[in-house]
Amino acid sequence: MNAAPAITQAQLTGRHKADEQAPIRIAVKDLNFYYGSFHGLKSINLNFHDRQVTALIGPSGCGKSTLLRTFNRIYSLYPEQRAEGEILLDGQNVLDSKVDLNELRSRIGMVFQKPTPFPMSIYDNVAFGLRLYEKLPKADLDVRVEESLRKAALWDEVKDKLKQSGMGLSGGQQQRLCIARTVAQRPEVILFDEPTSALDPISTGRIEELIEQLRSEFTIVIVTHNMQQAARISQFTAFMYLGELVEFGPTTRIFMNPEKRQTQDYITGRFG
Amino acid sequence: MDAVKTLPATDVPVRTSRIRSSRRVADKLLIVGSTIATLIGIVVLGSILLMLIVEGVKGFSPLLFTEPTPGPGSEGGGIANAILGSLVLTLIGIVIATPVGVMAGTYLAEYGRNSKLADLIRFLNDILLSAPSILIGLFVYTLMVRPMGTYSGWAGGVALAIIATPVIVRTTEDMLRLVPSTLREAGAALGAPPSVVIKSITWRGASAGIVTGIILALARIAGETAPLLFTALNNNNWFSPNLMGGIPNLPVMIYQFALSPYSNWQQLAWAGALLITATILALSIVARFVIKSERAR
Repeated sequence: MNAAPAITQAQLTGRHKADEQAPIRIAVKDLNFYYGSFHGLKSINLNFHDRQVTALIGPSGCGKSTLLRTFNRIYSLYPEQRAEGEILLDGQNVLDSKVDLNELRSRIGMVFQKPTPFPMSIYDNVAFGLRLYEKLPKADLDVRVEESLRKAALWDEVKDKLKQSGMGLSGGQQQRLCIARTVAQRPEVILFDEPTSALDPISTGRIEELIEQLRSEFTIVIVTHNMQQAARISQFTAFMYLGELVEFGPTTRIFMNPEKRQTQDYITGRFG
Repeated sequence: MDAVKTLPATDVPVRTSRIRSSRRVADKLLIVGSTIATLIGIVVLGSILLMLIVEGVKGFSPLLFTEPTPGPGSEGGGIANAILGSLVLTLIGIVIATPVGVMAGTYLAEYGRNSKLADLIRFLNDILLSAPSILIGLFVYTLMVRPMGTYSGWAGGVALAIIATPVIVRTTEDMLRLVPSTLREAGAALGAPPSVVIKSITWRGASAGIVTGIILALARIAGETAPLLFTALNNNNWFSPNLMGGIPNLPVMIYQFALSPYSNWQQLAWAGALLITATILALSIVARFVIKSERAR
């Protein structure tokens, strides 16, 4: 009954080894989450290291997206959803009601499952977040927009059509536009919620390369239902099941040598 | 020896056509029935339109657009004053209804959503949407005409605004709800407060639909007669710029002239009816065009 691991050692390339000494950017302490009366997250305790990619994996409905959506409190758009516990971003509890949500969200960027370009030009899409809080002269704005599009590996494709609508780009380009828009605000953390599940394999590859590059500047948390993706791009992996954190550790260890039976079953494809 | 195996014919159940014949008859009946119903509809609508065009064209002349409506018993005349009056009344109506309707629709779609207040507003709006327009005329009569002691263009405009507002509320809400919530989340995730998300993302995303709703509301009030009977009334002169007193307008002019014994009045009523119909048709085409150009984007 020794099922071969779904992820081989070769896939867990050693080039991005987990740095367990990296400072902790986000500390989740005893976090509980409710959708009305449904208990979506149960006593989660988890640390996210600075400038590392942490993947949240688990079967559908396990709470991985829910957890991601607590970090920037985007869930608070929906009155029936609430979180209890602590999420410390550089020591400050983001769940504190005194926290300025808009300031918090400019520090924690988010990229969604489906590309979400705004109905405006490519330039205005990228400049959107910058115009909210920074009053930049036009020349500086131009520089920031170009810099962000370059970081999102999109500049060469759109530099001649910045005035065109962002909706006219391909799905993969739209997703990179959304990444550029997020990067432009110079956040500390970027949250990715299944960013490639609506994209073709080539676009997926480009986004994965991009995440690897962005890691040098940002702390990254990515929700993915694709275990190979988690293995390819993350340094740390958290496996969740039914609203609980089952196991967390360096990606290599989680995939090669999981401690929990449930983790083993999930990564070898026995359920999920 | 690898002969292709064929299924023994006996394994395949064969339905005889006899079993299905009753269904086939029912099918035929339905096709024939619905075709006849469609034809009746088209013939009735077509003959109304045909009559309108034949009679209306007879009365068409450049004088329509230059001469005011003639007095009883006098010859010739046009409907220029009624056209101008209708334009002014419709404009007042839409200028009042657009901000109120768009704001209320935005409240329902963005802020109120499933709250009790929003449900109540939605319910009242639906009632208003189907309220008999003569009641709205009477309401404005009591509210404005009686206290002011005179019929006026303002009262007519307000009555039309009350008709147009629920149409705009409804379409604005519907169109805003079509904007995916992920777009709102994406705006919020960049730190944009709700007012900015609405102003620069959801309104923009729904703009074509909202504009279409306003155009359709315009088409709706362009031909309304009942709300004007008690408010703007009508007259045969050019109206005064302060809009006090009866204001000439197409729908009430048609209503009065069509019932009159004078043949030139009846002729002008036909011409006015054709003009209104053509305007509404043009507005509907513009609305479709706006939607199409948005889809193509």
